[in-house]
Amino acid sequence: MTDLSLAASGAGPMIAGAPSPHRRQLRRIALRLAVYGLPVLLILVPLATFLVYSFWTTVDGQVVQTFTLANYIDFLAKPVYRGVFIGTLWLASIVAATSLIFGYIIAYLVWRLEGRLRYLLLLLSVIPLAMNYIVKIYAMRNILGYNGFLNWLLVHTGILDTPSKLFIFNQTAVMITMAVIYLPYAILPIFLSLERISPSLLAASADLGGRPGQTFRNVVLPLSLPGSIVGALFVMVLALGDYLTPQMVGGNQGFTFGRAIWSQFGMAFNWPFGAALAVVLLLSVVLIILVAAAISRHARVK
Amino acid sequence: MTATERITITLLWAIGALVFVVLYGPAFMVVLLSFFDINREGIDWGSFGFQWYARLGDNPQMLAALGNTLLVGACAVVLATALALGLAYYMKTGVRRGRAFLEFVIFLPFVLPAIITGISLLIAFREVGLERSLVTVTIGHVVLILAIIYRMVMIRLESLEDSQIEASLDLGANGWQTFLHVVLPQLRSALVTSGLLAFTLSFDETLVTFFLVGGDATLPIRLWAMMRVGFTPEVNALVSIVLVVTITLAVLGAMSLKETMARR
Repeated sequence: MTDLSLAASGAGPMIAGAPSPHRRQLRRIALRLAVYGLPVLLILVPLATFLVYSFWTTVDGQVVQTFTLANYIDFLAKPVYRGVFIGTLWLASIVAATSLIFGYIIAYLVWRLEGRLRYLLLLLSVIPLAMNYIVKIYAMRNILGYNGFLNWLLVHTGILDTPSKLFIFNQTAVMITMAVIYLPYAILPIFLSLERISPSLLAASADLGGRPGQTFRNVVLPLSLPGSIVGALFVMVLALGDYLTPQMVGGNQGFTFGRAIWSQFGMAFNWPFGAALAVVLLLSVVLIILVAAAISRHARVK
Repeated sequence: MTATERITITLLWAIGALVFVVLYGPAFMVVLLSFFDINREGIDWGSFGFQWYARLGDNPQMLAALGNTLLVGACAVVLATALALGLAYYMKTGVRRGRAFLEFVIFLPFVLPAIITGISLLIAFREVGLERSLVTVTIGHVVLILAIIYRMVMIRLESLEDSQIEASLDLGANGWQTFLHVVLPQLRSALVTSGLLAFTLSFDETLVTFFLVGGDATLPIRLWAMMRVGFTPEVNALVSIVLVVTITLAVLGAMSLKETMARR
């Protein structure tokens, strides 16, 4: 590739009133500063500020700007926060596993179809991505609630005598709602990992006498699983950082790490501690992303 | 196919159908309920009508929230498009050191959990003394949608022949003229598509907005506040409108995406 901007400046003298070389140099430096500076200013600087904040403390609601590990020690020392953190990791893993199983089923069915039907079903499985997040929580609350649709159905069919409070304002409600909200995020990556399997491999398996079930077990599943797991890990990251779903359907029992962070910025008003908790979340997310990257690299080498 | 395989496939379709019911059921219920009154005994099936939609027009808070959402979305899309276009064009025209770094930075908010992006912007704004307002919300949305617009503009730019730009420069056009008359017209469909998708994202964005919003709420924030009070058909009506708008935007986006890809 040639440097077109240099070519452009080379063509400069042909234009009347072209700027002097000195001014052109200045302009190029200013341009470079803007190109690299703006994203750094908008994205990296805030992230750095937030990291620094996590090493500060508050005394009587005032931020004290001296370096200390107090927030991190607090997190490790308080069993409450550790418990919430591990509980949230567990919750997000279940949501990711659920998305993997049901997402795989949907993606597999779509992948097997041909022609118009295939694209229609693919479109149907991604449209929920465009549905408003708050709307989905609201709708799920409508369904799971004490006066909700699920209870109405169970009472009317005679399975329950009276409506149950089992489905709302607890950890299960958070899990179900997150699974419904985040499932579409898994379907697309899983579908793409199935799409990458070469049709010739399927044909070869059939030629060698493999029945559909055998082809699936020995060819399709091993080839598509690594990519699918990456999709599920993506869902896990989303579930880990969510703080509104637990708040809206979880009630007092549905306390998650995201809510713990959020409350430090709201009621508790201890921003440095909240920032430290968020750093812990960030580290777990980075770890998950690294695992995902390792899995997808491993899959590609094969 | 053996009998077991046939049974498995049938079973999978049954599960698949159930999953689609679960995915669409909630939204479907909300839309359905928006047409009826709800009294103590439950749904009054005789009350079908658009009365709750009509009542929305009398709710100034909600109309203000809608206005804020549209304003933030439009400003964020325009700003992010200008920025993404500049960045992508700069990276394309020349061997640029640091392209990988730049792309890493602008993709960060896309990969990191929204709560992290929200907190870091909140803290940074407080440190520079910028009060929470629609301005901070707009900046947050620019940060979030920048990567999408950049990516789509870049895909289109990469498929552009360098010779076109070289020819334009050889014919005496300067860099700016080349951009305006040769490059920009060919980016139109990519810009429309990414603009639509970015606007849809901004329209829905809640998790970052929550940290940055001041006195003027956007629609999702307003919805959230109403949701805490309880379920009324009025909320259902608003939710239905939001659903129709976002799905329409997304389908339009998907259609123009297909067109953009086909034209490459």
